[in-house]
Parts: sequence; C-alpha cells; structure tokens
Amino acid sequence: MTTSLAPAAGRAGTRPAPGPRRRRPRQARLLFLLPAALFLGVLSIYPLITLLRMAFSAVTAATLNADWAFTGLDNFTAGIQSGDTGAALSRTAVFVAVVTVLGMGLGLGGAIALRTSGRWSGALLALMVFVWALPPVVNGSVWKFLLADTGLVNTVLLATGLRDTPVPFLYDQHWALMAVAFVNSFAVIPFNALVYRAALLTIEPEVFEAAELDGAGKAQQVRHIMVPSVRGTTLVLLILTLVYGLRSFDFIYVMTYGGPGTATNTLPFLGYLQAFVRYDYGLGAATSVVAVAGVLVLAVLYARSIRNEEKHG
Amino acid sequence: MDINGNDARPTPRRRNRSALISLAAAGSLLLAACSGGTSADGGGADPAAPAGGDRTVTVWHYFSDDNQVRLMDEFAEKFEGEQDGVTVENVFVPYDQLNSKLIAAAGAKTGPDVVVFNGAEAATLALGGALAPLDEHWADFADADQVSESVVHTIDGTTYAVQGYVNLLGLWYNADILAEIGVEPPTTMDELETAMAAAKDAGYAGITLSGLPQSQGEWQAYPWITSEGFTYDDPQADALAAGLARVRSWVENGWLSQEAVTWDQTVPFQQFAAGRTAFAANGNWQMGTAASDADFEYGVVPLPLSATGGVYLGGEGQGIGAFSDDPELAWEYLTSTYLDADGQLLPAEIVGSLPSRADAGESEVVTGNTLLDPFAQTITRFGANYPAAVIPPEAVADVQLTVGQAWSAAIGGQKSPQQAAEDAIAALGPLLD
Repeated sequence: MTTSLAPAAGRAGTRPAPGPRRRRPRQARLLFLLPAALFLGVLSIYPLITLLRMAFSAVTAATLNADWAFTGLDNFTAGIQSGDTGAALSRTAVFVAVVTVLGMGLGLGGAIALRTSGRWSGALLALMVFVWALPPVVNGSVWKFLLADTGLVNTVLLATGLRDTPVPFLYDQHWALMAVAFVNSFAVIPFNALVYRAALLTIEPEVFEAAELDGAGKAQQVRHIMVPSVRGTTLVLLILTLVYGLRSFDFIYVMTYGGPGTATNTLPFLGYLQAFVRYDYGLGAATSVVAVAGVLVLAVLYARSIRNEEKHG
Repeated sequence: MDINGNDARPTPRRRNRSALISLAAAGSLLLAACSGGTSADGGGADPAAPAGGDRTVTVWHYFSDDNQVRLMDEFAEKFEGEQDGVTVENVFVPYDQLNSKLIAAAGAKTGPDVVVFNGAEAATLALGGALAPLDEHWADFADADQVSESVVHTIDGTTYAVQGYVNLLGLWYNADILAEIGVEPPTTMDELETAMAAAKDAGYAGITLSGLPQSQGEWQAYPWITSEGFTYDDPQADALAAGLARVRSWVENGWLSQEAVTWDQTVPFQQFAAGRTAFAANGNWQMGTAASDADFEYGVVPLPLSATGGVYLGGEGQGIGAFSDDPELAWEYLTSTYLDADGQLLPAEIVGSLPSRADAGESEVVTGNTLLDPFAQTITRFGANYPAAVIPPEAVADVQLTVGQAWSAAIGGQKSPQQAAEDAIAALGPLLD
C-alpha cells in the first residue's frame, strides 16, 4: 500500500500546492474501497462469471471437475422446450406477487401500528425481530407443523366449525403455492415493518398535531402524511422485497420440496433440482441465469425510479 | 447526498450502472446461497492430514435416526477395539447435500476416507470422481464369494462400492386393527383394498407411504407401478398410469392421506406407529422405531403385488473416498465392519437390515426374527436391482426425480394419473436411450 502512495507523493512535489491535498483523500478513498471491492470480486463477480460460463456449457457430475464443453444456448433451449422453465417462471411471478403485496402492505401496517412507543409495541417489536432473525429452515419446519392436517391451524378451523375437512395447505397444488408464498411473506414482514417504522419516526410530531387540529382522522393521516413521507423508503423496500421473493428457495425446500408434483417449483428451486438433484449443472446454471436476469430488470427499474425521484423530488 | 462534505453524487448513468452491478452481485450471491452449499472443507475431520494417514478413519454418512446413528457408533467402537491407536470419526452430512459435497470435495482433492451413501447413487458419485476403485481390494477379499452380487456396485467395469446389508419395503400392519375389523394380513391387492375400506369404515386410516417428489418417491412408487406391468426396459404410459391411478384412488377413497406428498419415509411410519392406521408401506429399517414407538401388536407381510411386481433391494453403499489419506486403513475398516460376518449382524440387530453375506444371513439373529422373514421372502419373490440395470449410470438421478415427481403429482392431484404418466414417459424416453 505504501508503494502506491509513494509515487503520488513524489509527483506532488512538481505540482501546485493544493494538488496533493486533493489527491490524497481520493487515493485514501480508493484504499478504503479495496476490501469491499475484493470481497465483491471474489464472492460475487467471480461466481457470477462462473455461473454464466456454466450456463453456456455442458457440465455434469462427471465433467464438473474437468473441462467444460461450450454448448451455446443448448441449456436454455432445453429448459424452455421441456416446459419446466416457462412453468417455473409463471409460478415465480405468482409467488413474487403474493410476497410483495403481503410483505409491503403488512409491513407498512405493522409499522403504523408500532409507531407509538409503549409496552405492547415494544413487546411486539421484540417478537418481530425474533421472527426476522429465525433461520428459514426452523421457520419453515414450524410452519410445516402448523399447516399440517393435524397442525394448529387446521385443528382450530375444525374445532370452530369453520371447516368440515382440513385445509390442504401444503398438498393441494394451488394451496401449496399460496401457503409457501404466505410463509415467505410472513418472514419478510418484520424487516419491512422495522424499516418503515424508522422512516415514520422521522416525521415531525408537529405535522400530526397540525393535521389533528385541522380535523384529519387516523385514516387521513395515514393516507396524506405517512404514505407520502415514506415514498422513498417504499421504493427501496419494494425492490428488496421483489428480490427476496425471486430467491424463493428455502421455505419451498423445507415445506413442499417443490410438490405436489412440480406445483411449487419456482425458478430457484428448479435450478436447485437441475443442478444438485439431477447433477446437470449446466441446465441448473441456465435456469439461475434467467432468475438473475429477472433481478437485473428490477435493478434497471430501481435505478430509473431513483433518478426520477431525484429529478422531481 | 453529501458524503463527508464532498459532492459524492454519482452521475445518473454511473449510479445506474453501479446499482445494476451491485444488485446483480447481490442476486447472484443470493442464488448461490440457495444452491445447497458446496463447501469442500473435507468434513469435520482433518482434511489436511499428511499422506500416509493419521490413523483416523473419517466416515461421511447421512443418518439422523437414533438407531442408525447408534449403528455407526457401534461400528466405530468395533473397529477401534480391534486396531491399536485408530480413531473412527463419523461425520453427519444431510442426505440432500452429501453427493454435492463429495463431488465438490473431490474437485478440491480432499474428502473422507469412507463414504456411506445411498447405494442407488453410486453412479453419480463414481462419475463425479468421489469414489476410489475397489477392484484390487475386492479381488483380494477372501470372503467376496459370500457377498450377494446384487449389492456390488460396478460402473463401466469398475467396482466402486459394496453394501453390507439390504433394505427393502414390506407391508407393515397393525394387528390390533386387523383383528378389530376381522381381516387377515393381505396377500393380494384386492385383499389389501378390502381391508383398507374396512379400516376406514371403522374410523382408521388405510395406509401411509411417502409421496415426496424425488428419489424417495420413486423408491416407494416402484412396487405399485411394476405390479401393474411397468418396467424401465420397455416403459409404457398405460402401465405407469394404471399404477398411479390405483394409488390415487386410495386418496380419493379416503384410505391414504393426500398429505403423503409432503412426507419423507420417516413421517408416514411415525403416523403408523401412532396406532390409527391399518397399514404402512415402509422398510425393514423401521424395526427399531416400531419396537420403541408402537404400543400395539404389529407384523409384516410382503407387499401384495402381482407377479410382475418388483421391490427394490436398496440400502447404503460403502466405498472408499477418492482422496482418502489412508485407503488401506479405510478398507480394513470396511472389512472389519460392513463386510465382516459378525459386523453384519449389528445392522440386523440394531436397525433390522438384512445381511448381504450368505453366512450372516443364516445366523440366529436373522432367522429367529419373525419380522425379518417376510422381507427375506420379498427378496426371493420380488427382489429388483436398485437402480434398474437398464438405466444408464449418468441418467439415474434424472430418472428417479422424473418418476418421483409423477408419483407425487398423481397422489397430490396436480395431474391426472394418465397425464402424469404420459409426461413422465415423454421425459424418460431420451434418458433411457
């Protein structure tokens, strides 16, 4: 590190006095960036390049540790022709929609309910942090018990006479997709609520007092003060929640293993089955690339919305 | 956007690009995190041990059941008792991760000394370079002729693994329920269905089995679909559909819970052991669980299949890791435990598995066990190689997943049995060529 600084210092002597002062901080900034760039390169860029290379090659258990033969778009066409990728795409879309709507809506609702400080909101907040910190495998296993035929939810439904037969939460193709999407949303609500709450706390209390003096009810305060104030936060959370929904793997793995049949095979789970169950790493990588492409589209939308926000905001 | 007093605001284009890169990176990270993990750390033992060995035998296995874990401990104790200064280290790796971890470890030229894995997946591991060839050891093994040929895993002419025991499915029955509804243990499909109907009328469930959409599902499906004439040699959609339709009809009649699609093979046996179900299509390895959990009279009969029916002869394969630091010691471990006549009695006693050695099979431990006898009969009547010999080694995992998903789709009602069968046959065609 000293070697990179030394020439700069040497050159500085030939330049006008303010030069080095401006240069040094910039180089120092680069130095501070180095660890992050290194980690990003090793843990993100390299795997991403490997993923792309794999997606365009024939890679199986037998050839994983050998040279990979380039096969062009074969993996992509194989996925599309089998119908697996298309079906997984539409399931992923439904899944992401449910996770996003529930995660955002209930996240904001939770934040509004927890805005004021008090014993109950403190306890609820602690509970939410606990749910958020729970490993998905544990969370998913508990929900699998809760949603089973003899689980708590069905027992209550049957005991109260709301249903004559247990709800087929995890073994009917439509219910199963909705159930895993719901559990996925449940796990993201605490995070969204905490972020929303932080944004809501930045609103000056005087604003609410003024609104109350003007006769605004709770609903109007939510609609005309809170929702507009957290618009920036909403945009960021929306992207994060969409990406969270797109990587829907762990709960599906624990709760349904993609079943019944293939009813809960979303893109990430399909990629897992192809790469780590069928050992067709190339095909699995191609499916994952489709998912990454989805994330990239979201990234473009995100960047655009931020830019518009800054232009008009 | 003031950072430290400087205007650090990036231009929109640059911001756009950096946002793209960071999100793409985050996305790939998340996806990578999802993919099951392929850490090549060599397991809990010391993967960096010097060549020539540290007198430690590292054994990777996927057992979490109490009795199976106890068996691993007893094997370790047996070998350590026979050898001076040797330590056996059993390392648990979850079933779903074992193969990918082994293959990734082989890529990094490391891995365990001994691998205990699903015998059906020998081809995947051998082709992935995770297993060492056993040809020389096997040729020199004096008792090789005692071991049944159906448990020796040979891929493209090279032997990679041997099984110390055989596991297979049978029909467990709750004798108390059968006595209450007045039927005998079934010997034909009609008798089974009549008994399940009677059990349902008496307020019990008919049968439990696993409908998971993966290899466990295929293993459970095989007897029922072959009983209707399905074979991998000449896969026909109608035969497959008939097998799937029969089991789907059990769901529609209320004899089998549709929830079976979320059960691995452990859960349905626990359901059976709870005492409210007449039958369970499950394995001999459940004997320990039955003894400890079931407080009713129970028994086993061979699955009531037709003459074309087949029951897979499964069980775990045992092989030597391709990068074992002491393959000789690893082989000594295998010959002292899984391949030893006395050693083979341990799985029979503890787990209820059938020994693969002829002499061990004649032991009192096996012949005196009335629960093992129906399984021994099943081997003679319905025993089928697992996986079917006609399936190319590289397609085994694919075939199992395809049929497992069809089985799950039919039981769970995602597809009609006919549709599930036609889709599966279409997918099987190129795999079996």
